[in-house]
Amino acid sequence: MIKILAACAIGAALAGVATFTMTSIAVSTTTSSEPVNETLYNYGDR
Amino acid sequence: MPAPGSADIRAADHGGGRVRHGSRAALARWAPLGTGLAAGALALGPALGPGYVLRYDMVFVPDAPLTAVTLGGGGGFPRAVPSDAVAALLGRVLPGDLVQALALLAVFAVGAAGAARLVPGPRLAPRIAAALFYVWNPFLAERLLLGQWAVLLGYAGLPWVLRAAVRLRGARDAPRLVVALLPAAVGGFSSVLLSGLVALPAAAARPWRRAVAVAAVVAGCLAVVALPWLVPALSSAAGTDPAAVDLFAARADTPFGVAASLLSLGGVWNAQAVPPGFGDAAGAAGRLLLSLAALAGWGWLLARGPRPDFAAALTAAAAAGFTIALAGSGGPGREVLRAMVGLWPGFGPLRDGQLYVAPLALLQAVGLAGAVLWLVRPDARRGAAAAGRTAAVLVSLAPLVLLPGLAWGAAGTLRPVEYPAEWIRVQRLVNDDPAPGALLSLPWSAYRGFGGADGGGTVVLDPAVKLFGRRVVWNDELRVRDGGEVRVVRGEDPLAREIAPLIGADAAPREDAGLAGRLGALGVRYVLVDHANSPDENRFRLSGHGLETVHSGRFLTLLEVPDKHVEAETSGLTAAAAVGWSVTVGAILWSIAVSGSSLVPMPRTPGGQALRRKESTK
Repeated sequence: MIKILAACAIGAALAGVATFTMTSIAVSTTTSSEPVNETLYNYGDR
Repeated sequence: MPAPGSADIRAADHGGGRVRHGSRAALARWAPLGTGLAAGALALGPALGPGYVLRYDMVFVPDAPLTAVTLGGGGGFPRAVPSDAVAALLGRVLPGDLVQALALLAVFAVGAAGAARLVPGPRLAPRIAAALFYVWNPFLAERLLLGQWAVLLGYAGLPWVLRAAVRLRGARDAPRLVVALLPAAVGGFSSVLLSGLVALPAAAARPWRRAVAVAAVVAGCLAVVALPWLVPALSSAAGTDPAAVDLFAARADTPFGVAASLLSLGGVWNAQAVPPGFGDAAGAAGRLLLSLAALAGWGWLLARGPRPDFAAALTAAAAAGFTIALAGSGGPGREVLRAMVGLWPGFGPLRDGQLYVAPLALLQAVGLAGAVLWLVRPDARRGAAAAGRTAAVLVSLAPLVLLPGLAWGAAGTLRPVEYPAEWIRVQRLVNDDPAPGALLSLPWSAYRGFGGADGGGTVVLDPAVKLFGRRVVWNDELRVRDGGEVRVVRGEDPLAREIAPLIGADAAPREDAGLAGRLGALGVRYVLVDHANSPDENRFRLSGHGLETVHSGRFLTLLEVPDKHVEAETSGLTAAAAVGWSVTVGAILWSIAVSGSSLVPMPRTPGGQALRRKESTK
């Protein structure tokens, strides 16, 4: 029984997260804010 | 169709079962490696095409020079030794962009094959799960986006190092460990440190007399592969700024805090080095749950499953690495690290805390395989067995589903570009000149915006550092935005510190009619100005610093200090450095010759004994 529940829970969770994350990536890649064209470039931002 | 006399026909003569068995055996041998290659192709995507992928610390160049400077003879801290030398050597027979693609793909192939080998038992599904997890997780994604390909080579070699170190019985087994350390040897100092973090606990996990003896062998092997960078590092007079501990400490890159970020193998200091969509709560929660499931799988392996012989060693390495990573994130731990770095620059590598969760990634990879093993255990109930297999497949694919932002060059973040032809012309002008003297790269800033058709692009270490066969002096101070302010980590190169007073706040030399003489006295022969990244791009064309113009183009100006001013000697390797290289190369070649090596397990003989070559890779 526990394996059946695990399969259902894992499948549902992965499907939900995948949908949410892919939507988020599609949005973030169109509004990317890579720090370019600055006077001097930083190694990074914390 | 198989050829007459082929192995397949011989197997068919003995019935279809042999054919199926042979196919399964081949699948078991090659599937982890294939998983790594497929994952690499999916993750790198466009980055495997023609051109150079430039991003932060990842700089490959065409016709990379292989000179004494590349080998560590240029002075300064040998941060890119020997990785640059190996890339340059391969660049003699392959195009530079192909070398880069192969190096990146090797990380995935070697890492996946190694992680799969650590999984106890013969079943394929857990091996695939471990292979995929180890090469598709936040640690690898973030280090890749930070451009630290050399570190990732060392990461890929960790499972091989662990396996070799655990099975080390004495000095006669040292060649196996040296071969396993080959990726770390290429990667350089961070890679060797990571390998030490895994190999030394593996040596220590035995009765103390044996532990001391084996640890000495491990330390010797680590030292042998480290000599190319260790020897010049000890004589470089390079220092480390304790302030770097604050700026390069692990940080929370998920909504759940630093500890949870590190536990789920994220937490890199640079907010620009995370894949798209990484910080979303749903994905972060999913990855944290996956890591917890992997830890539960590890616990099951240790308590009830087929306990691996490296269990204690990997647990200790992962715990130590996690502690180091967490220590720098704040509180008294950060104070201790800062004090240690201030006390001795050799503690400097501890500043980048997240690096040390690499052993935890390996533990979780094997742990996830344990979870899959638990799910596919034989079960008399038909429905439960099918559900277990379904759950195992889902768990195995979870790394991909929960980190989709790594796919296709991190959603296009890793994309190849071509160097402008002008860069190559200037490279030839400088490299064809046998006269000694360093090259000063301006503007006085370590990083550039490079490669975009619109003049922007991505942030990358100044490519001039890799293009020339002579010493390149550049501002190795690191600017990091922390909150609202830009903080600066003091550089390591003593020569750069001597030149810094000649440079103004605009990253260009101060107005000084005697500049040529001052630069020449410091051993500088050439000054290269990258106009596309200069705050005032016309200034160098017109000003009269006593320098002679060698090249003036759209992107670059190359100026030369008159020969009468230049006080420089040809850079060369010291005798100690040359001996170090000889020992390392000789030891690696000898170890390969006597031990053999293979990315895939060799087939077993009918009696169940592996062939000698397989034994040699245990």
